[in-house]
Amino acid sequence: MSMSFAPTRAERAEHLDVPAYTSALDTWLSARPDGLVGATSPLANTDSYMAATRSLMHDLYSSGWSRYGWPEEVGGFGGSILHRAAMWELLARHGVRGMAAFEHLEVLGPTLLALGPSEFVSEVFPRFLDGTQTWAQGFSEPDSGSDLGGLRTRAVPSAGGYTLTGRKIWTSWARFARWCLVLARTGPTESRHRGITALMVDMTAPGVDVRSISQSNGHDELAEVTFDAVEVPGGRILGDADGGWKVAMHVLGHERGTFAWFRQCFLQQTLLDSLPWSEPAADGLLSEAILDLASVRAMSLAALRAEHHGALLGPRAAFTKLLLCDAEKSLYDWVLGTDPDLAVDPFDGAALERRAGYLFSRIVTVYGGSQQMQLDTIAKQVLKLPT
Amino acid sequence: MSLFDDLEDPLLETAQMTLRGRDGQQALGDLGWSELLPMLDIDPEARRAVFAFFRAQGRELSVSNALGQLMALPYRDVSGGSGVTVSAAERRSPRRGVQYLVVGPPAPGQIAVDRPGLGVSLLDAETTAFRTVDLPGGPALREIETDIDAPETWIPESEALARRSRRLQLGRLAAAHEILGASEAAFSVAVQHAGLREQFGRPIAGFQAVRHLLAAAQVDLAAIEALATQAVDTYPELPPLHDAVLKAVAGRNGRRACERSLQVLGAMGFTSEHSHHQHHNRVLTLDTLLGTSIELAHRLAEAQRASKGALPDLSLPAAADFAG
Repeated sequence: MSMSFAPTRAERAEHLDVPAYTSALDTWLSARPDGLVGATSPLANTDSYMAATRSLMHDLYSSGWSRYGWPEEVGGFGGSILHRAAMWELLARHGVRGMAAFEHLEVLGPTLLALGPSEFVSEVFPRFLDGTQTWAQGFSEPDSGSDLGGLRTRAVPSAGGYTLTGRKIWTSWARFARWCLVLARTGPTESRHRGITALMVDMTAPGVDVRSISQSNGHDELAEVTFDAVEVPGGRILGDADGGWKVAMHVLGHERGTFAWFRQCFLQQTLLDSLPWSEPAADGLLSEAILDLASVRAMSLAALRAEHHGALLGPRAAFTKLLLCDAEKSLYDWVLGTDPDLAVDPFDGAALERRAGYLFSRIVTVYGGSQQMQLDTIAKQVLKLPT
Repeated sequence: MSLFDDLEDPLLETAQMTLRGRDGQQALGDLGWSELLPMLDIDPEARRAVFAFFRAQGRELSVSNALGQLMALPYRDVSGGSGVTVSAAERRSPRRGVQYLVVGPPAPGQIAVDRPGLGVSLLDAETTAFRTVDLPGGPALREIETDIDAPETWIPESEALARRSRRLQLGRLAAAHEILGASEAAFSVAVQHAGLREQFGRPIAGFQAVRHLLAAAQVDLAAIEALATQAVDTYPELPPLHDAVLKAVAGRNGRRACERSLQVLGAMGFTSEHSHHQHHNRVLTLDTLLGTSIELAHRLAEAQRASKGALPDLSLPAAADFAG
């Protein structure tokens, strides 16, 4: 089945109801459309993973399914984050391996919509949804990882807007991205979090250089991005000038909060897929994985509901992030326990994919704000402990 | 009010204020417990109030027979005798086999003792002999000593079966809420202590090692709360095995939160004059009832393994169920 038909007006109205949407999408996926088949085979490398996911997103857009949950101004059909939550859960259930660069639909998407200059976002966001123009997040720098307020990439006013110079690192999916949300210093260095501006940068502009980073798990979605006097038009500010910290906090609320729902969908599927290997001897590890997955699922569901009702997650998003780390680690502790091939077998595609997943699970406590930073946030902002 | 803001649940506050420094049974009366219970299935607000009571009871270390009353709900329609007022809660003893316990002070009426495969024995509370389990901070447990094999009345297994899962569900949800409350109380004492206790010339709360211990305990508690809230919101249509998942997480995380709190309290928290052991006892005691966290977690793993993936919704429902 390769043809996709856009939904009728009546279908669109009916699918604004999330259970009706879920059931209709489930039926559609059960017919195994081409884009789904491609995205469900074991993926040899980062490029094939990205290509297959892009093609899936194209199909989901042209058939309308990925447009629910986004407002009409940006190419959506209306509905809420619960539509998106249901879609990705179903995709995982039907064997899709992951979100690839489309993670940023859930990490950056809500912020682009909430704080973006509507004209530019309205123009480019539909191309994100249909898979043609993906985004990356330029936050971390070689000298400021956990210490985001110390970033040094500088944007200075120019005739048309800003001239951007500096380096970003650990920028996931950068080499596939058409746009990058870059946090840049627009005030003096000592202005810390007050002198930062969020810019939406065209990755095809002269002066942008992307060098991919070869990772220990065999993939290379991470990259180092250099901006050498890149011209950024003035209309490409997200939020206010010098208001980048607010943008960053909005993004992090999603990256650490609601995003956990989307990731746990795939973790839960990994658990189900690994059951054929399971041995009673590893039941202790399996039970930890079950409890930790249930915990992050409940917490992230609460995050989705809060978002659905228009609340900002604030510092408690760290709970969700830490529970996700625990779940991913304990799941892969069990996966390793049941399938030691992943440590030594370079011949089997499935074992290689599990190896990549296992090794990635060892680093989840680093990205998106390290475990130590999350604990610091809770101690300071939730428990309000004196220093 | 959500898991992501600073606001306290008003139902929880009310229950806590009603319980503070008072007799638990009296507080139940003041809260209109006997009117709340029958509304549990149909009124979400009543349901939230009922489970908030257990969390408050844990926080205040109060004693009442609320758990037994709640678990007796499935037997409300049983006729004959004086009527079932409480259900016993079972625990496995490696030394003495399964023990049946009544929580809180005696109440007139019948005690339901559910025994899978054998039906439900109905014991007259007036003539039942007990052995009191007296632990500081405990929920006032009484082990049934009377022979339960020869009750005057019973519910046959065929009728007991349908009531069993509901009784367990209610009991596990309530126990998990009370474990949450008791471990929260232990935790808040530790947080307060960290801000006051000075070493090396400053409050120990300033040391990152201590801050991270407390933050990790806070996350453990938040996980219990998330699962508990979800259980109450979805009751009576809980996802399969959710009661077991919730109680297993409550036991595991509750104990962990107590241990981390004790580490922050230092040796003072290990003394009988400090309150810590009372909260810890409440957590440990409740963890033994209706399946310990270890037993439940093991059973969940076995069930998941045996299902070979046939239980995709093992732990929780789909997002679609939460559109409301």
